[in-house]
Amino acid sequence: MPRSLIDFAELLSRVENDRELMRDLLSVFKEEFPRRRQALREAVESLDAKRVALEAHALKGMLANLAAREAAEAAARLEQLGRDGKSAEFRESLATLDNIAEELLPQLDACMAEVSG
Amino acid sequence: MRILIADDEIMSQRLLQKTMERAGYEVTAVGNGRLAADELCKSEGPKLALVDWVMPELDGPGVCREVRKRKEHSYVYMILLTSKEKKEDVVAGLESGADDYLTKPFDPEELKARVRTGMRILDLEDRLIEAREGMRFQATHDALTSIWNRGVIIELLGRELARSRREGKCTAILLGDLDHFKSVNDTYGHLAGDEVLKETARRLLSSVRSYDFVGRYGGEEFLVVLNNCDPAYGWTRAEDIRKIIALRPAQTSGGLVPITMSLGLLLSQEWGYRSAEELLQEADAALYAAKGAARNCVKVATPKIQQGAGDIPVPELERRRR
Repeated sequence: MPRSLIDFAELLSRVENDRELMRDLLSVFKEEFPRRRQALREAVESLDAKRVALEAHALKGMLANLAAREAAEAAARLEQLGRDGKSAEFRESLATLDNIAEELLPQLDACMAEVSG
Repeated sequence: MRILIADDEIMSQRLLQKTMERAGYEVTAVGNGRLAADELCKSEGPKLALVDWVMPELDGPGVCREVRKRKEHSYVYMILLTSKEKKEDVVAGLESGADDYLTKPFDPEELKARVRTGMRILDLEDRLIEAREGMRFQATHDALTSIWNRGVIIELLGRELARSRREGKCTAILLGDLDHFKSVNDTYGHLAGDEVLKETARRLLSSVRSYDFVGRYGGEEFLVVLNNCDPAYGWTRAEDIRKIIALRPAQTSGGLVPITMSLGLLLSQEWGYRSAEELLQEADAALYAAKGAARNCVKVATPKIQQGAGDIPVPELERRRR
């Protein structure tokens, strides 16, 4: 049993038990996330610190809204590295975020199935 | 109540919008700071805003600063949404003109409570404005008749005279006094007397144009300023007013009270440069003449110098010049 990366109860309370809204948010996330992640990856590759901070900030917001705390924290760390201009640590931090994201995505699908069912 | 939500991140925007709509607010949502500032600065724009800190075009504190600078007349309550929560960030946010801040991701109950706080402040502001407007009205209007009070009508006359001089136009001054008002009070009682004054004000207002001024000059004295008025019109209007006042008795709690008015008319263009006070004295003299001529009539104030100029013998004038 993999650890849960989404706090389902918190997410439910955040949308005030509105399952339709939750479904809506999840599908927006599914649509936006790959695009944002790609943008962040490009920023990291080009060592553009300002861009890294900006993209990581956007991802952090999205993840926090889904009550995906661990992933949001990973994005926050990358955002801070961007702000501090610590470009040497970008790649490693991105890899951490990527690992969490790989685990997170199937859980989101499960979540989606649960609210749709 | 309409509120503005400014957030470039679509999930946050949707979450905020839905939460606020569920709480009964009408929501306008925008995706950048520029649009937010423009929307909030509209005269009928939303009065409460939830503004994300990090946004393209203009960030949250930038929106707050711009709204505080551009919008002077009514207050916009702004709540900054931030995932930054370091003390110095919060201070910077509030110093930009935000009223409150909320840390993302937000709890719906807390969000709604903060918005309610904002609504209370806005409601308080509305009531203060209402009270101020009420006081402004009281300070400028006569308590009994609700027409301009003495101070204001004289000031308006002064302004109008200056304007008509600038534009080469004529202002007509009508000073009217109810005839035998003392005996109205004595016969029908003071309450009836007050009702007569109110009715007189109503009749005066109904017989002038919307841009003319009607004020209470004294106890039973009324001042009417006809703006941009040619002499013939001034004459006709004065006579019409006299007729309208006298046409039928005023209905009062003490019964029907017959009323008439004596009027002094002055046309500013015949007087050259004179102050409002001087002209009022002349109008008052004409009113006095109307009272002397059996009342319920209009007398015109005529400049004496012009009238008498021909009577002064030439040698006399020569002597004066020396």
